[in-house]
Amino acid sequence: MDELELLKKDWKNQTSEYPKLSYDEIYKMILKKSSSIVKWILIISVLEFAFWTLMSFALKDSKGVRSFDELGAENILIPMTVIGYAILIYFIYLFFRNYKSISATDNVKILMENILKTRKTVKQYVAFNLIYLVIATFVALGIEIEQNEVVRAKIEEATANGDALMFYAKIFFFTIVALGAAIAVLLVFYYLVYGLLLKRLNLNYKELKKLND
Amino acid sequence: MNKELEHSFVEQLEKHQNIVHKVCRLYTNNQNAHNDLFQEITIQLWKAYPKFRGEAKFSTWMYRVGLNTAITLYRKSKRTINTYEIDSLQYKIKSEEYDDTEEQQLKSLYKAVHKLNDIEKALVFLYLEDKDYKEISETLGITPVNARVKMNRVKTKLKKILNP
Repeated sequence: MDELELLKKDWKNQTSEYPKLSYDEIYKMILKKSSSIVKWILIISVLEFAFWTLMSFALKDSKGVRSFDELGAENILIPMTVIGYAILIYFIYLFFRNYKSISATDNVKILMENILKTRKTVKQYVAFNLIYLVIATFVALGIEIEQNEVVRAKIEEATANGDALMFYAKIFFFTIVALGAAIAVLLVFYYLVYGLLLKRLNLNYKELKKLND
Repeated sequence: MNKELEHSFVEQLEKHQNIVHKVCRLYTNNQNAHNDLFQEITIQLWKAYPKFRGEAKFSTWMYRVGLNTAITLYRKSKRTINTYEIDSLQYKIKSEEYDDTEEQQLKSLYKAVHKLNDIEKALVFLYLEDKDYKEISETLGITPVNARVKMNRVKTKLKKILNP
C-alpha cells in the first residue's frame, strides 16, 4: 500500500484525538494580541523611520550644524533638508501601502511576496539614508574646508610646511573610517534583526520559487 | 467589531476547529507549540474574518489562513524552540484493526512527515485532506502541474526517509 494512502486512512480516523476547545476558550483567544512576523516588521520599521527622523533632528541642533549656519551654507543645507523630508514621506507612504496589502487570505506565494515587498521598502529607505549620510558628510567636509576659518588656517599652515597633501589625505582617511564604522555597525544590526526574523520566510519563499522555475 | 460578528466567528471556528488542530499537528512537535500556533491561527482568522464574504466555504478559507500562518506569519516563541519531542507525540496512533506492524509503520510515517520542509508539509496536508491539485495549487500559488510534480517528489522523499 502506498505510504501516503495509509497515512490518509489514519489521518481521517483521528478526529476524536484532537483537543476540543470550548466556545469560551476560543473567544478568549480572539481577544489576545498577535505576535506574527508582520507585526514585528511593523514595529521594527516604525522604529527605523523614527530613528532616522530623530537623527536628522538631533543633527540639526548639534553644534557642528549650527556653526554651518554661520558659514552661510543655507543654499546647500535647506534643499538637502527638504529633499530628505520629501523622501521620508514618500517612503512612509510606500511602506504603509505595501503593509496594507499583506493579507492572510492570499495564497502562500503572494503573501510572502507582499511581506518581502514591505520589507524591501524599509531596506531601500535605509540604503537611501546611508547614501544621504555619505553625501552629507562630504558636503559638510567641503564646506568646512572652504569656509571654516580654523580649518583654513590649518590648511595654510600645512601648505607652508609642504604637508598640504598629507593634511587632506588624513581628513579623508578619518572621514571614511568613521563612516565605514558607522555603516558596518548598522549593517550588522540589520543583518541580525532581519536575518533572524525572516530566515524561515526566505527559506520557504526560495522553496516555492524553485517549484515554479 | 460587533458582538454578532464575534459570535458567528467563534461558533464557526468551534465547529471547524479540527482543521486548525491538524495544521498545528503537522507544523509543531509538542503541546506548547501546538497551543501557540493554534492561538496565532485563531487571531489571524479573526483578523481576516470581516473580509470573509462567504463565497468560499468557511472551512476552505480556514485552510488558507491556517497554512499561511503556519508557514509564513507564525513566529516560534522562545519556549517552543529546542523542544523537539517527536517520539513523545501526544497523539495516539490508532488503526481500525490493531496491527502492530501497521502501527509501527504509521509512527515512522508521521516522523518522516515531520522531517519535510514547510512547503512539502503543506502539500502533504492538503493531500491528506483530499484536496485536488487545482485547490492545492491555488492555496500555495503554484501551477497545478508543478503541484503534481512536487507531490510525486515528496512521495519519493518520504520513501527515502523511511527506507534510507
